[in-house]
Amino acid sequence: MRGLLLKTLHEVWLPTVLVGIALMIVKAVLTHILPQVLEGASQLLEQLPLVKTLVNALLGTEVGDQITARTMQAVLWVHPVVLALIWGHEISFCTRLPAGEIDRGTVDILLSWPVSRRLVYVSESIVWLLSGMFLIGMGLLGHRLTAPTMPDDMRPDLGSATLVMLNLFCVYLAVGGIAFLVSACSDRRGRAVAVVFALLLASFLLTFLAQFWDPAKHIAFLSIMEHYQPAKILGSGRLPWADVLVLLVVGAVTWLCGCEIVARRSICTR
Amino acid sequence: MPETSVECGTASVVAARQLTRYYGRRLGVDAVDLDISEGEIFGFLGPNGSGKTTTIRLLLGFLRPTSGRASILGWDCWRQSAALKREVGYLPGDLRLYPWMTARGALRIAGAIRGIDLTAAGRDLSDRFELEMDLRVRTMSRGTRQKLGLVLAMAHKPRLLILDEPTNGLDPLMQDTLATCLRELASAGHTILFSSHTLSEVELLCDRIAVVRSGRIVANEPLETLRNRARRTVKLLFTNEHAAARTDVPHFLTRVSCAGRTWACELDGPSQPLVRWAAQQPLEDLEIGPPDLESLFRKFYRSPEGGA
Repeated sequence: MRGLLLKTLHEVWLPTVLVGIALMIVKAVLTHILPQVLEGASQLLEQLPLVKTLVNALLGTEVGDQITARTMQAVLWVHPVVLALIWGHEISFCTRLPAGEIDRGTVDILLSWPVSRRLVYVSESIVWLLSGMFLIGMGLLGHRLTAPTMPDDMRPDLGSATLVMLNLFCVYLAVGGIAFLVSACSDRRGRAVAVVFALLLASFLLTFLAQFWDPAKHIAFLSIMEHYQPAKILGSGRLPWADVLVLLVVGAVTWLCGCEIVARRSICTR
Repeated sequence: MPETSVECGTASVVAARQLTRYYGRRLGVDAVDLDISEGEIFGFLGPNGSGKTTTIRLLLGFLRPTSGRASILGWDCWRQSAALKREVGYLPGDLRLYPWMTARGALRIAGAIRGIDLTAAGRDLSDRFELEMDLRVRTMSRGTRQKLGLVLAMAHKPRLLILDEPTNGLDPLMQDTLATCLRELASAGHTILFSSHTLSEVELLCDRIAVVRSGRIVANEPLETLRNRARRTVKLLFTNEHAAARTDVPHFLTRVSCAGRTWACELDGPSQPLVRWAAQQPLEDLEIGPPDLESLFRKFYRSPEGGA
């Protein structure tokens, strides 16, 4: 296991650190400019109803006519740049094995070592989990660095922020599990990345459509975004356990299916 | 524990029975039977796309067989693939290594995975192959990458070494170094499966050869037996043209040409009958060439039945 971890860490540490730093900077900047954005937000939402729908979809809850300081805190955790950084890194990471290894032709060397495929998968997953903790932690760090510049009534409390992070980490687990499963079924990394990206996009679109289209509301529970509720957490100060459970089950089942497929399928370079 | 699932000869390091693999509807290999004994250098010869690499991937547990079974040192190649690789070194035919790797780093990682320190053995092999320890793969030439692949395959002194077209990209001097290394390993009791499409390198090294064509093994014999089966060129110089014209061609010779008092022939089978026959003929000179394995293998490659 140590050798495999060494190999994986050697390959991913630099992009992970870079994305972590980028995430920290983005969160710090977003936190800093939040009060200025808040000043014109209510007027903007009244003028552009589509933007309001988009914000509703991102936050996973109905935003009132008067956007509150607390709701705006949630925007920090659903901002497209934040999600793009986390998911971009995650999809790229979780499609490394076996699709990425097959694609670049190194899987023959990897599988020639005396390790079971399950162990290779687990070691890759350990680094994925650690990367997730690091990235989300860096986001929180950026947020905390500039939080003192906010007005007192807007300054977020650490407890609520931690609960949002937990919810985000559950989303990270679900998206990663799906990406591992898609990668397990694929020989081409590009195709695996495209499929996972399409699934995430579809998930977001479903949540978006559910805001104004009744048929979509009935199947909105299928969307990952539907189970990410930062605004609700910041409003109530409680973790949405049902959503967390759904995300954990999705993550665990897809990850396990991916593991079994990797262990049982024929794998070699093309 | 090894399953000893494939019934095989007592000293078989590799045993395969009716090993078959289809890629969808396309045949990879069909009903391959193999037995490779300890200390043997076994040549696996065949044209491109004949099924050599597929057989190797089945033996290493990369591919699940469609039917049939194979074992290495008693371990089932599919179900106990991870365990058997402790005793196996492998060089892929189309070797691709991690671009960030150096020989030193690769040996450290491989050593950590295998649970043994490969530094000293790796350094010795790197010296023999004149490989720089701190050069990154992305800056290596094809031949240098091949050397690193060989070092990684051999550093842990595996009981079975599987080399898929190992001389790709190696210069003649390095090919000699590889041949020396392989002979040393074989004499120390290690077994080597040497896959190639070039007869000359297999002929130079191997004790026994299997020829694979269109996914089927069409010959599996000791090199000496194949040599005896191969045709030899024979040149007969008669004392005069009249004697050359009057003499009947014996059944073991095929006359290719007749020019004046010289016959150019091909000999099927051993040379003793020819020598006995020649002693009774009005001959001035007799030349018997070495066994022409090349044409024998060309026949194996081409003939639909694989017979030669």
